[in-house]
Amino acid sequence: MTSYSGYMLRRFGQFVLVVFIGINLAFLITHLTPIDPIEQTISAATSFGSTSPEAIAMMRQALRELYGLEGGLWQQYAAFWKRIAVGDFGPSLSAFPTPVSDLIWRALPWTVGLLSVSTLLTWCLGNLLGGLAGYFQKSSMLRFAGVLAMGFHPIPYYITAFVLLIVFGYLWPVLPITGGYRMSMPRGFNVDFILSVAQHSILPVLSLMIVGLGGWFMGMRALVSNIVSEDYVQYAELGGVARRRILTSYIMRNALLPQVTGLAMSLGAIFNGAIITEQVFGYPGIGTLLVSAVHAGDYSLVLGLTTVSIIAVSAAVLLIDLLYPLLDPRVKVR
Amino acid sequence: MSEGAAPAPVLTVTALRAYYQTRLFGIDRDVRAVDNVTLHVNANEIYGLAGESSCGKTTLIKTIAGAIRPPLKVQGGSVEFNFHGRRVSLYDKNAPDLADIRWRHLSYIMQGSMSVLNPLRRVRNSFVDFAFRHIHKPMAEFLDTVRAHLLRLHLQPEVLDAYPHELSGGMRQRVAIALATVCRPEFIIADEPTTALDVIVQKGVLTMIREVQREIGSSLIFVTHDMAVHANLCDRLGVMYAGRLVEEGPTAEILREPRHPYTAHLIASLPRIGDVAPKKALEGTPPSLADPPLGCRFHPRCPLAMDICKRENPQMEWVGPVHRVACFAAQPGKRQ
Repeated sequence: MTSYSGYMLRRFGQFVLVVFIGINLAFLITHLTPIDPIEQTISAATSFGSTSPEAIAMMRQALRELYGLEGGLWQQYAAFWKRIAVGDFGPSLSAFPTPVSDLIWRALPWTVGLLSVSTLLTWCLGNLLGGLAGYFQKSSMLRFAGVLAMGFHPIPYYITAFVLLIVFGYLWPVLPITGGYRMSMPRGFNVDFILSVAQHSILPVLSLMIVGLGGWFMGMRALVSNIVSEDYVQYAELGGVARRRILTSYIMRNALLPQVTGLAMSLGAIFNGAIITEQVFGYPGIGTLLVSAVHAGDYSLVLGLTTVSIIAVSAAVLLIDLLYPLLDPRVKVR
Repeated sequence: MSEGAAPAPVLTVTALRAYYQTRLFGIDRDVRAVDNVTLHVNANEIYGLAGESSCGKTTLIKTIAGAIRPPLKVQGGSVEFNFHGRRVSLYDKNAPDLADIRWRHLSYIMQGSMSVLNPLRRVRNSFVDFAFRHIHKPMAEFLDTVRAHLLRLHLQPEVLDAYPHELSGGMRQRVAIALATVCRPEFIIADEPTTALDVIVQKGVLTMIREVQREIGSSLIFVTHDMAVHANLCDRLGVMYAGRLVEEGPTAEILREPRHPYTAHLIASLPRIGDVAPKKALEGTPPSLADPPLGCRFHPRCPLAMDICKRENPQMEWVGPVHRVACFAAQPGKRQ
């Protein structure tokens, strides 16, 4: 147990370090871009008529205070960390005066729900089928599944998204093609609303799954067909250990270890993976929010979204890493 | 065979042929790893199988263990066990399901036991996976049996709670031996169980193998290329060369008076106290088993080769009550 807590501590230290560096980078990049959000706002506000220079100066001062852009770079940097510590990213520019954190909190559950469900489903299904295909190499059905997976794998997910959109929205319109739930429906925690959410998520989830399945399938199939010839599997076969036991505890379990690492990595890709899917299906998540924030030059919203995704991705990877020693006892020793 | 009154042997291998069949670029190739091998192993006996690498030792015992997977294929002959009157013929048309024989009657100690235990399962679970179905007891009593067995083999019962990586190489090998003997099987196959170990650990493991074999009275077929190990452990010795058995007899007799020039060479390669002269290596390399030389397969390297050796294949013939050899030079009647 002591070695596990040592491992935990080390991993947690890494997590803090990664988040710190990531947020610093986000700060630097936004501050080094030539686009000055304040000048942009001012020019937008003053483009329809002449405004007195004093009024413009006052406006500039007010905006600076609002966005924490007073003083030199170091002062701004200190102010920035103070805001992050309390989770305040200032008001949004494009949806003034709604605070950025409100916008993010509203969008976050949609993205996390959509992506975690599709990623986990894809992972489970791909590994199960791939593992079986690696073990029962003679099964023609599983071979066909392999061909299918390999065929779909290289298709970009936005293409499958469009194809699904055309098929289920136009040729055979049975599923809703846009939004996260039915527009007219009040939000609430009841069966109707949840059903509507589930129905709306079918197509986005499907578009992500069809493409993601192939990678897990092929990876797991290759892993399993290697592990089948490992000494401990052959020995278990010589020992007459029950087939089902060999398949689950000797082959699948060992093959899953690298796949768990892969899962952590793909959870990390949640935020960039969602952007296009959410755009195509008009899903009210982080991706849609980010795209519109960039279009509107909404400086604080972009910074807030970046920060939140840095923390979320690192936390997901940390969680998987902390669970990993429970799956592989050898990790603790390192 | 020669001893009529002796009880039936536990293992009888008759004219066994096992080939690796490969097909590369449309060309069929047979690698005759086991070619016409006949041998038996008596009850309560340690039978040593010697020979250099790639002479077919491991293929022979794979075939004996019923672990055939393509491209290896049994071409002919039979492997028959006699477990206290229960006859099991492995390559018969009506061969039984081996799962209920494995570990109960026939167990296996494998080469490189560093990797024969599942790295993600505690040793306890390996024992449960392999042996629980054969020892008809509830789990708690079963584990008591296992603990008692481990103690007998000078292992702390705590190893049950360990993962394989937490044990040293020697301990892992001893755990593997405990695992292979916990069901007290009649027949144990040991495939180079000491090859990866240093000599000190090796000695401990060999002693343990002999102790446990004596205690449960099982038969053992012990494979290694190390003649010194054979000299210490085995009752009888079989020497293989290029897929064939070339000599077989009591270990002491073979060591004292080898009949086959290949055996003689293997024994001469053993270091002796007082040796000063460097050892001479045997000229040439073992033949390719895909295209073995005509006649005796050893003749290209044999110092005693005669004309007949290039044409005819010597058969195993008795040169003593329990001593057989396949060599024209050692069979006086065949000299030409």
